[in-house]
Amino acid sequence: MRHTLLYILLFGITLLSHAAEMDSVFYLNDVVVTGTRTYKLWKDAPIQTRIISADDLKKADATNVEDLLQQEMPGVEFSLAMNQKKHMNFCGFGGQSILFLVDGERLAGETMDDVDFTRLDMANVERIEIVKGAASALYGSNAGGGVINIITKESTEPWTLNLNARMSRHNGRRFGGSFGLNGSHLKNMLNVNGNSVDNFNVHNADNPAAQVVNTVYGDRTWSVKDRLVYTPTDKLKLIGRAGYFYRELVRTADTPERYRDLNAGLKGLWDISKNNQLELSYSFDQYDKSDYLKIPHLDVRDYSNVQNTVRGIYNYHDWKTGSILTVGADFMHDYLMNKNLGQEEVKQNTFDAYIQSDWLINPQWEVVGAVRYDYFSDKKDSHFTPKLTARYQPIDNLNLRLGYGMGFRAPALKEKYYNFDMVGIWIIRGNKDLKAELSHNFNASADYTTGNYNFTVSAYYNNVRNKLATGVPHYMPEDIQQKQLYLDYDNLDNYSVFGGEATTQARWDNGLSAKLSYAYTNERMPKDKAGNTINNQYIPARKHAITARIDWDKQFTRNYGLLVSLNGRFLSGVKNVEFVDYYDIAKGTNTIHYPAYTLWKLSAVQRFGKAVKLTAALDNLFNYKPKYYYFNSPLTDGTNLMLGLSIDINKLF
Amino acid sequence: MERSNPTYYLILTLTALFSLSACHGVLDELYDKPKEGIDVKEGQLYIDASSWTDWFFIDFNAANRNFAEGGTGSAFVKMGIPLGDAEAKSTKEHPVQQTGIYTYWYDVFGKGVSNNEFDSFKPADAQPEPETWHIAVHRNNVRTNGGAVYETTYTSMKSLPESSEAFADATFTEDEWNELDVWTIQKQMLNGLIGNQGIAINPVLSRWLSVEFPPPPNFKLNNHVFIVRFNDGTYAAVQLENYQSPAGVKCNLTINYKYPY
Repeated sequence: MRHTLLYILLFGITLLSHAAEMDSVFYLNDVVVTGTRTYKLWKDAPIQTRIISADDLKKADATNVEDLLQQEMPGVEFSLAMNQKKHMNFCGFGGQSILFLVDGERLAGETMDDVDFTRLDMANVERIEIVKGAASALYGSNAGGGVINIITKESTEPWTLNLNARMSRHNGRRFGGSFGLNGSHLKNMLNVNGNSVDNFNVHNADNPAAQVVNTVYGDRTWSVKDRLVYTPTDKLKLIGRAGYFYRELVRTADTPERYRDLNAGLKGLWDISKNNQLELSYSFDQYDKSDYLKIPHLDVRDYSNVQNTVRGIYNYHDWKTGSILTVGADFMHDYLMNKNLGQEEVKQNTFDAYIQSDWLINPQWEVVGAVRYDYFSDKKDSHFTPKLTARYQPIDNLNLRLGYGMGFRAPALKEKYYNFDMVGIWIIRGNKDLKAELSHNFNASADYTTGNYNFTVSAYYNNVRNKLATGVPHYMPEDIQQKQLYLDYDNLDNYSVFGGEATTQARWDNGLSAKLSYAYTNERMPKDKAGNTINNQYIPARKHAITARIDWDKQFTRNYGLLVSLNGRFLSGVKNVEFVDYYDIAKGTNTIHYPAYTLWKLSAVQRFGKAVKLTAALDNLFNYKPKYYYFNSPLTDGTNLMLGLSIDINKLF
Repeated sequence: MERSNPTYYLILTLTALFSLSACHGVLDELYDKPKEGIDVKEGQLYIDASSWTDWFFIDFNAANRNFAEGGTGSAFVKMGIPLGDAEAKSTKEHPVQQTGIYTYWYDVFGKGVSNNEFDSFKPADAQPEPETWHIAVHRNNVRTNGGAVYETTYTSMKSLPESSEAFADATFTEDEWNELDVWTIQKQMLNGLIGNQGIAINPVLSRWLSVEFPPPPNFKLNNHVFIVRFNDGTYAAVQLENYQSPAGVKCNLTINYKYPY
């Protein structure tokens, strides 16, 4: 039975996943792929995978991944870095250690160590899979803290046409449209989306303890994406995709900042035989930043990151034992142009190969082992990363998992070659001698489903060596008059983080459902190799975080239904050690306390017939206004009324 | 090879993959390639005034001669700001209009730089000046050589009245002592401490480029034409056309002028 089910999974994954989701009370029969790079039922996955389903996405009504993750995941916090660049803290790991994927593909470009989260809009997302813990043995560099894989929808009906819009405070506008076609061999999904919100000022009380924000910068984005799937035979599937993204942000009226991304890819999935499957893919991603000089009408690019990736994955399924062997390899050409490099451009080739054995010992026990080799042409650096996970299923719907994984992060080209005069304050310098950051991750988890209830708990410990970050500001020895400060990238030590998460969910037949999650995160902040305290580049994770949601969904008549949702999050206060005087570190450090807060959102979605949905939401329901808008305060100035309309044109007839 | 063979499609796909490959990207045509400098016209000056520690002195007669001789609009003299002897000690005493560096604490990361407080003073020599000059620029600050300034509502040099006589009844403002705006020493900027040159600047003409904090600094160009009246009774009309270099570097000033006006 298990063999038959797995076989069906391989050849009808999309349809089955859709059907499974419809049938599932929770996610038991949902298919996940991120943890092992092979398709698995959620309830049988050897790597614990958190799913944010299409249903969750509808309820959240989030515009982008930042809104969504903060609503759905305790322990995820988006704060600000210099110049209000967004920085993610995911259970103690920053953006450079959490790998974001879209349909399994990496994203090019970064700012202050994070990808551009505004690129990741939530239109046309089928589900999001989140794997916590080191995943470098499968995904390589930047997956030391986990992987977030955004999986997009494929068209499932003969044709679909959806138009939607939402309005909110500060002139917030969101418009979107999708058009899908589904033929016998060919299906296509086209998406166009636009968002905009104005800059707005916020008020701070006197005497803040740390830097505050006075103006919150809005932006204007639009994107177009197309995904074409061609199935010439029942054993071959070809997927082509292309997308373009544009964002404009106005900090200085005469010089709007522009961000663009162009991506494309082709993928072939070939079921060679009942036992063998081959996947070949090519991916192109270009992320640019430019300044538009309004007066002379010049659009001047100052950053470009281009990644060309070729990948091959081979899976062998032994149907007698249920075991799977996976062998894969990637080649990537990485090009970086940045006006703040010491040179005009840098580039490197990376190559990796990995092998994973998923061994189903018996119906109760499953062991997955993987090892990966990565090679970086710049400085001819190379790494081996292993991983071992065991799953034990003593009774139906109870999974116990235990795992170890090594994580690593190769120094980014920026961290090696940067040379940036930060408004005369200091010069941030790359360090060509940086070593890769290595981490040892230990994790344990359990999930259990009974009747209308689902329980999940997990715990982890990460010890990070040679953490890559900026170190202690310093003067050059020959600079006796101390005229110029330098801030160098460095390998730091003594960084560790441990924590855990517990989630309980319930769904009842009367349309009520509820979810409560708690996350604990404890970071031990790094020091330099000499044991000196450093100024933390980012504010640490909050120790305690809770997310909660309760929904009531009722179809009153054939033509009228209502979904009411209340969701909220609570984040505890956090302390951060910061230098009293950046220019004289002998003066020691201050401990800054950043306050706790809670935010709630109430939304109601009215369904008129099958085609029309009208959404009204009150974000920041209790009108919370921070006393100080610190870099980790929520950027809200009060309750925000949001009104949205969505029409499925194809369902009108 | 048979079209029904999956290998055919895979080879086709791979061929397409590599033919699409663009190692350095494909969006080059969207962007402009900035030139090193700008092509200045007659009656125009281009000055890289981004230095924190220099004044750039403009002599309009010299600028006119420069154009007449086929120059490039870079007729100015650069002179450093005296920073005081290395051995000279700072004092917490606040002197009255003494030349030197006045260090103030600014609420750069809070309410903004208008919330500030005197911190210390370090004596230094008076600003050296060339023999002849009309106005001088330092980043977003402007001085006149004993002149006074009136801000018009005109935004084009071409639309100005024929001569300065049209502004005979206007109220002109002379230079005023300042120890808050000529930001010179930024080495303690992250602590909100900035050293300023104590010097007279023209508050009206300095309005042609304002910089608002907290960071990032928000530059605002005022494209009005300003009339400058000098001690010798001559007038000049000046306008800041742009404050950025073609590559976007701020405080690179493109100045339109008419002298005598």
